Amino acid sequence: MAYEEVKVKTPLGLRVLPFASLLLFFGTWQAIIDFGVVPNTMLASPVQVFKLFLLKLTDPNPDGAVLMRHAWTSVQEAFTGYILSLLVGIPLGLMMGWFVVAEGLARPIFELIRPIPPIAWIPLTIFWFGIGISGKVFIIWIAGIVPCVINSFVGVRMTNPTLIQMARTYGASDWQIFRQICIPSALPMVFGALQIALAYCWTNLVGAELLAADNGLGYLITMGRRLAMPDMVVLGMIMVGLTGVIIGVIIDYVEKRLLAGIRR
Amino acid sequence: MATPTRSIANEIQLQVREKRPFTIFTVLKNRWFLYAVSITAFFLVWDTVAYRRVFGGGLARPQEVITQLGKMMVDPIAGKSLLGHVWASTQRILIGFSLASIVAVPLGLMMALNRYVNAFVRPVFDLLKPMPPIAWISIAILWFGIGEESKVFIIVVGTFVPCLLNSFNGVRLIEPQLYDVVRMLGGNRRDEIIQVCFPAAFPAIFAGLQISLSIAWTCVLAAELVSSRSGLGFIIIQGMTLSRPAQIIGGMLVIAVVAWGMSLLVSGLEKYLCPWKREVMNQ
Repeated sequence: MAYEEVKVKTPLGLRVLPFASLLLFFGTWQAIIDFGVVPNTMLASPVQVFKLFLLKLTDPNPDGAVLMRHAWTSVQEAFTGYILSLLVGIPLGLMMGWFVVAEGLARPIFELIRPIPPIAWIPLTIFWFGIGISGKVFIIWIAGIVPCVINSFVGVRMTNPTLIQMARTYGASDWQIFRQICIPSALPMVFGALQIALAYCWTNLVGAELLAADNGLGYLITMGRRLAMPDMVVLGMIMVGLTGVIIGVIIDYVEKRLLAGIRR
Repeated sequence: MATPTRSIANEIQLQVREKRPFTIFTVLKNRWFLYAVSITAFFLVWDTVAYRRVFGGGLARPQEVITQLGKMMVDPIAGKSLLGHVWASTQRILIGFSLASIVAVPLGLMMALNRYVNAFVRPVFDLLKPMPPIAWISIAILWFGIGEESKVFIIVVGTFVPCLLNSFNGVRLIEPQLYDVVRMLGGNRRDEIIQVCFPAAFPAIFAGLQISLSIAWTCVLAAELVSSRSGLGFIIIQGMTLSRPAQIIGGMLVIAVVAWGMSLLVSGLEKYLCPWKREVMNQ
């Protein structure tokens, strides 16, 4: 070998500490309930949550559906809204970045709607769509569209001006420049939007379900509160976090595959 | 970006201005003209849709919204006028936001500067991070009841994550050359931290605060929608129960204005506190 391989040793403390901290976290959580520091009506211990998790896999009581069905409903709603927001938001943002007319027409309305948190749309949505799936999809759509538009807009605007001038010199039309220079150069930013939009969608899904739902993970949490079952609340929270992580990993994988052919 | 880029828009405008003097075409392509057209069209469509009752009384006309806003300024709802409700929400955000940033920013800095703190805090943080703050509402109500504490708690939980992550990444992404410079000039570890880390991480920390602020608005609204007697979320939800669309839309407009004003305030503060921040492309 031409060069010697250098091994950097991590100190023992650094390797042990993460496990120690997790152990301490769960230990304290279990202990404050076992020793009655926090009453069991307010918080459930990890063991109880795990038991309920096993039970809920098969038992639809007391909230009317098994765990997987709740999760599936939520994922379905989130994905419909997410895909719709991508389909509308990315082309809109790209157009706004290049065409003056598109920017002039769309930007004021976008700026007007942008600062309103998607959660604030819930009451109007209930008026318009009822509490069915379409209302939730609408809220998720609004949540996801903002990062899509902003990222693709900025992506087009950050195109290297030299490239555009070069294309002009060679007599390219506006449309050709947009299609062959602006869009490819904006792609990394657009793919960045995938992840951000997903996080927004998932957060707001829970909000939408907290208020009006009869199915889904947010509904599981609300029912846990209504029935005063802290283990169900915690289970719902953990499931929301877990499902979010799983979807995030999938999107991350897709993003990596799509980005593989693009050099930045 | 290493090289400063100019906005493409500037370039186009310059060319247009040179080539074409004053024709209908230039007027039609003028940005401000288009803005005006867009806003007018938006309100016209809104008014028509509301007037024709496409959503069956679920949408108020713009003038009704304005009348309702004026009425809410004078007539108190649940003991507070509109400004009182705005202040109630703002107060919650300010308390929760400052609590979270006072804890999270130093913690993030410490995590970035010390491997051991990082190894200890990181796993628990990673465990709690993926749960959306809104999912905490139920447990907050179980713990603190439906008073102020539960709302502040949710805001703290929601704003904690971006504050911490941004101050952590801010220190982590500092260019190593800057450290080298300080070391070359004979500085020790303390100089490195005070002279390089803090000033260089400042813009990232402020970006985190900006994100936190918008999350704080989402959180406070969600908390107020679930259970509350005051605040802008309460105005909206009361508009729903009394089926007064004008009140809902008025509330949404007020939220938009206040949220926008607050984010403007933070970016103003940032410009004042850290003038060394590099100009990033405006959006």
